[in-house]
Amino acid sequence: MQTTLAAIAVVTVGYILAYLLFDRLRDRYGYVGGAEYVLIGVLLGPKVTGLLDARQVQDLTPIVSLALGWLGMLLGTYFRLPTMALIHGEHMRVAFSEAVATFGVALAALLGVFRYLAGSSWPEAAVQAVTLAAVATLSSPAAVDAVVDRTRNRPRILPVLQLTARIDALVAVVAFGLVLAIIHQGEVAPDVRPPTATEWAVINLAVGVASGVLFHLFLGPRGHLDEGRLFTALAGAIVVASGASYYLNLSPIYTNLVLGFILANSGSAHRDVTRLLLSTERPVYLALLLFAGAAWSPGAADLLFIAPLFVIIRLASRFLGGRIAGEYVASPELRTPGLGRGLLAQGGIGVAIAVNYSQVHSHLAPATVLTATLLSVLLFEIVAGREAAAWISSLKERPAAEPYVEGRSPVGSA
Amino acid sequence: MIRRLIVLGLLVGGALLLEPLRVPTEGVIAPRSLFLFGILLLTADTFGEFAHDLGVPRLVGYLVAGLALGPSASGIVPAGVLDDLGMMKRLAVGLIGLLAGAELRISDLRQRYRQVLFIVVIQMALVMLVLTAVALIGHPWIPFLAPLDTMPLLFVALLLAATLTVNSPMVTLALLTETRAAGPLAKTTLGVVLVADVAVILVFTAAFSLAQASLGGETGSAPEILLHLLLEVLGSITAGAIVGGVLALYLRFVKRELVVFAVVLVFAAAAAAEALGFELLLSLLVAGFLVENVAPVRAEPLVATLHQMAVPVFVVFFAIAGAELHVREFGALWPLVLTFALARMGAIAVGATTAGRLAGAEPQVTKYAWTGLVSQAGVALGLATIVATRLPVVGAAMQTMIVGVIAFNESVGPVLFRRGLDRAGEIVVR
Repeated sequence: MQTTLAAIAVVTVGYILAYLLFDRLRDRYGYVGGAEYVLIGVLLGPKVTGLLDARQVQDLTPIVSLALGWLGMLLGTYFRLPTMALIHGEHMRVAFSEAVATFGVALAALLGVFRYLAGSSWPEAAVQAVTLAAVATLSSPAAVDAVVDRTRNRPRILPVLQLTARIDALVAVVAFGLVLAIIHQGEVAPDVRPPTATEWAVINLAVGVASGVLFHLFLGPRGHLDEGRLFTALAGAIVVASGASYYLNLSPIYTNLVLGFILANSGSAHRDVTRLLLSTERPVYLALLLFAGAAWSPGAADLLFIAPLFVIIRLASRFLGGRIAGEYVASPELRTPGLGRGLLAQGGIGVAIAVNYSQVHSHLAPATVLTATLLSVLLFEIVAGREAAAWISSLKERPAAEPYVEGRSPVGSA
Repeated sequence: MIRRLIVLGLLVGGALLLEPLRVPTEGVIAPRSLFLFGILLLTADTFGEFAHDLGVPRLVGYLVAGLALGPSASGIVPAGVLDDLGMMKRLAVGLIGLLAGAELRISDLRQRYRQVLFIVVIQMALVMLVLTAVALIGHPWIPFLAPLDTMPLLFVALLLAATLTVNSPMVTLALLTETRAAGPLAKTTLGVVLVADVAVILVFTAAFSLAQASLGGETGSAPEILLHLLLEVLGSITAGAIVGGVLALYLRFVKRELVVFAVVLVFAAAAAAEALGFELLLSLLVAGFLVENVAPVRAEPLVATLHQMAVPVFVVFFAIAGAELHVREFGALWPLVLTFALARMGAIAVGATTAGRLAGAEPQVTKYAWTGLVSQAGVALGLATIVATRLPVVGAAMQTMIVGVIAFNESVGPVLFRRGLDRAGEIVVR
């Protein structure tokens, strides 16, 4: 009994201290991250107080899978085809160049780190490097939208910035989904031929497409469900799709991205779905941080150097990717070599990828990947908003670009 | 409805196609459990809507969905999956407890304490009396009572009656949330089931100790039993006061991310309840009540947040509860189950009506309060499990019959209460 009471006291005091610290960061730097939730997760988890033991942390899997899928689905709903058809070709080119360049630079550096500094074999290094490169490539559409909303300066690059944040997230989730399919974990039933890498990739896509089509039929026409019931139906849909992905050791984030894409494009309920997903994004993200905290362990001491190194690699690849796209791919009108400065915020999908990785590749330094991701996400959230706002303010004001369609964002109805 | 059922059928069929590609996953609950949890949610939502279309409470649809997919019927959701989802159910219980406590306003209680107390005392006493009498009279036909001597027979009959006295705060709150009823009948019924929830723990523990002692099980002396009992109730109230204090501080100084905070708080309380042995529902009831009525903070944001979460929470709770129902027991023992269920219902109706009259309650309360007291759900099932695991000789057989009665009350009770609210003119949302 005394141990439990002491654990409760530790969690309470820890939370209060973390709250005071991060509240100050909030006041001073406009910090909107959720580091205190990671901390409270760590305090609650088996590594500190043990108030939630390992079994109880495992019992949270339905909530975690819901959170992973929720973020994936939200990302999928950003890509509405009727809106995307209006996107200027050059904007798309800049966005994709930035995402691919950032991913490529990060991947090359991380492959070197895992192969030569951490001593992993090539296939192992590839899985870890692709995962962390995906995390490095991510930039948070919601955070970028928030900065764009706050700023008064309206340079032409703003729609490109918003589009790039979405394409970054898309490239990251697809890359991670593909690496789980291509370097697949686990064995199939003895009487079944193991699928090839391509077949796993197709199966992953097929699960997402089938889920999307079925839930389009399930949700029915717009206005049919009130918010509570829509939440229940969406939660059910996401848990089913995530469950199917877990079942096959594939990525539920990727599956739900496809599911969200289909729901956003196939019916009139997409507005309700997107509004609900957006309104619950923050609690879902914080719940994920909390779980990540509870599941966190520092991992092997000799690999701890990877976490700070990853932060440096992300910063470098972000700036390099932004420079390649903003200076060499963009036309003179859109030329902005510092594009990467506006894309530093990582958001919840990074944590989702790391959590998903640690569930599937539980033998392949999951703690290192999770530690690096958490450090990066939390650090960049301290500086990202301020950096992006400062960068946008520094740009020359030009006539604002026409929005592509309804709403503020260049793609999707978010 | 048909479209949705076809989709659900296709989902289950699709899962069968994936079966040969199954791969082991470590570190998470079984992926199958996760998938089936999703199916359970979607089916419950579909059946809930169907029930609503039929003019029956949605929660009956959730229960039927759980029952249809659970081990008793199709077995699509096996018992192992329900074990995996235990934490989800505890979370639902905790959130419902918090909401129920916050819905109980001291001003309403002050206004209605006389009615609430009269109904609690009189209907509980009458139900205990009638069910004990039915058990004693019918004991030759009740397999687990037939071989007992006089004293064990009396105490086991008392325990049986005490277990069946329990009401269901979950069902009451789910129905009040669904119908948004807030009139005299709604307020009185909520007060009665919450107060009775505390009272019944005392009655059950006393009856359990007597029955255990009479059957030769391990038990302590009377003062020890009473002390243990008081400690459990006081411990739950103290824990509730601490949780309420933490909540009040949070509402006073932080006020952000209430959804996440409420969920974390309930998880932490559930973990502490398991470690320290207090009752989760009671402690969170107390916490919600204190925040709403005692703490110098505005609890509206918390109540609004809990209401937003209410629908999915109720779906989770009642779908899992439905899947845990054992209808096979009902099939085997239906004459006994029906006898006890109808006797209980009659005693409640007479007790609550008499109490309403004696307390000078409003006519609609006097006439329909009993309809809100028939339902039984999680608390009663929990007590039945205690009986099965800790009562020697007769426990398992007794649980079988109790669960049959609970299944009946869980199905019929919500329909009756909705009808009562309807007749009393208190339903706001149909």
